[in-house]
Amino acid sequence: MTLATFGQPAVVATAGFGLTHNTLVVLGGVAAVGCGAGVVGSLTLLRKRPLVGDAAAHATLVGVAGAFLATGRRDLPTLLAGAVVSAVAGLLILVLLRRFTRTREDAATAIVIGVSFGLGLALLGGITARGMPGGGGLERFLLGQTAALTARDAALLAVISLLAIVLVMAVRKELLLVAFDPAFAAATGWPVGLLDAGLMVLIAVMVVIGLPAAGAVLVTALVVIPPVAARQWTDRAGSMLVLAGLFGLTAAVAGVAVSGLRSGLATGPLVVLAAAAICLASVVIAPRRGWLARQFQSRIPAGDDQP
Amino acid sequence: MNAGQQPLVEFHDVTVAYGRRPVLWNIDLAIANPCLFGVIGPNGAGKSTLLKAALGLVPVVGGYVRFGGLPLRQVRGRVGYVPQRETVDWDFPVNVMDVVLMGTYGRLGWLRWPGRRERAVAAECLERVGLADLAHRQIGRLSGGQQQRVFLARALAQEADIYLLDEPMAGVDVRSQEQIFGVLAALRDAGRLVIVVHHDLRTAAEWFDQVALIDRRLVAAGPTAAVLTTENLQQTYAGGIELLEQLGQAVAERGRTE
Repeated sequence: MTLATFGQPAVVATAGFGLTHNTLVVLGGVAAVGCGAGVVGSLTLLRKRPLVGDAAAHATLVGVAGAFLATGRRDLPTLLAGAVVSAVAGLLILVLLRRFTRTREDAATAIVIGVSFGLGLALLGGITARGMPGGGGLERFLLGQTAALTARDAALLAVISLLAIVLVMAVRKELLLVAFDPAFAAATGWPVGLLDAGLMVLIAVMVVIGLPAAGAVLVTALVVIPPVAARQWTDRAGSMLVLAGLFGLTAAVAGVAVSGLRSGLATGPLVVLAAAAICLASVVIAPRRGWLARQFQSRIPAGDDQP
Repeated sequence: MNAGQQPLVEFHDVTVAYGRRPVLWNIDLAIANPCLFGVIGPNGAGKSTLLKAALGLVPVVGGYVRFGGLPLRQVRGRVGYVPQRETVDWDFPVNVMDVVLMGTYGRLGWLRWPGRRERAVAAECLERVGLADLAHRQIGRLSGGQQQRVFLARALAQEADIYLLDEPMAGVDVRSQEQIFGVLAALRDAGRLVIVVHHDLRTAAEWFDQVALIDRRLVAAGPTAAVLTTENLQQTYAGGIELLEQLGQAVAERGRTE
């Protein structure tokens, strides 16, 4: 047996499982995105604003379509830059709606989600209907499709995710203080509005770079489900951030890997299903907070006062 | 005694409104010396708002608040705050020590983490409120009185000169109440000014050196015995049902202690 014949089947085999260099880089990028979404999402969940990410995500389509219409280009950085602009604009409208029309937060969020998503779909529909050259494929931002990602795109997503993680970890003392007790934070001189605004921009950035993996409709699950799962396992915010990052990473990688088995599968639903499976398991089997643990605990009287 | 010096806290003609609805009208109140100071009044009288105005948490539409003659931003580190207990989510993933350490954040500033000194301060504050052995318990697994004492310990960790407490006795068992008042009295004896929003007239007459009666405007302020008169109380709780039960108790209590 010569080296050549020995080597050949191996190449065929790796290609068959999709384990090319490009696939590995894409998996790494998606892993970083899932991790970042879990970490940043934990803070919005603890700040009791889990739907802010949802509003930002639905507002991204306008930016994707707008960036394509304005530049005629369809490379990922251009489209995602447009998405960041429209996601942040959507959140700004959310804040203004609440402040100047006295609309409740949930109602204002619903308005932003509905209107911005409708506008985004209308723009995408218009581009498709006119058969604009290069306009095809924009709909992959709806449900997520990582098959089209290049190694360079994936590296970009990974770098931005890692920056977001580093940033959040650096100011987590301040962000957690504001999340726990905003009045005390303000009374002790912390710029609560600025920290909130910073967190909103970060969540907008995270859902935008989650678009290729999960799509505009489902990416919000990536910033909400892993933190909820992580909360089940720990009573410390620090470990919750780490766990949420790990769960998000796992869900993103699992979803993308499974979608790679058959070409043309949208990744978003698979990523979300993987995250949901982790969450379901956590809610049932986590020690103390989990459903099983509470079945045993419930008969022990809780809350003892000082001895 | 304090002649020529600025009062520790001065509310000058303070008016606060939420939207177009005024909550506090023209409050003029100066506290010159360290003492245990009670802010008393019916529900919705603006007692908490008075503290929030002092801390810059609600916009003041008229007048100003000064601390020793200085605006808040120059003395923030010297003002400790205990918000109402139910304003936070006690299921938050932090333990008792984490919350008390938050009191040291103001001094630490951005990007710096509590170190050995901060942990020692926090442990000592927990000791003072009698929670030293619960430092590592998740805050959701505490009784109401214990949660209130955690908030008090956090304020102590601010190492302030002036303390503002919003209803620290609400939903607290008698033993915790006495422990909290003990800590506050010790602060007063150490030369701190302690301002407490309080709703229970009977214990107010018992504990505070000075009180202010508030019902959207200032009804009266001064030494407790001089302020808690039947006439002042009637003005403050005009026609309120809680007056009927509380007034009798307060006056009887005052008669006994005098």
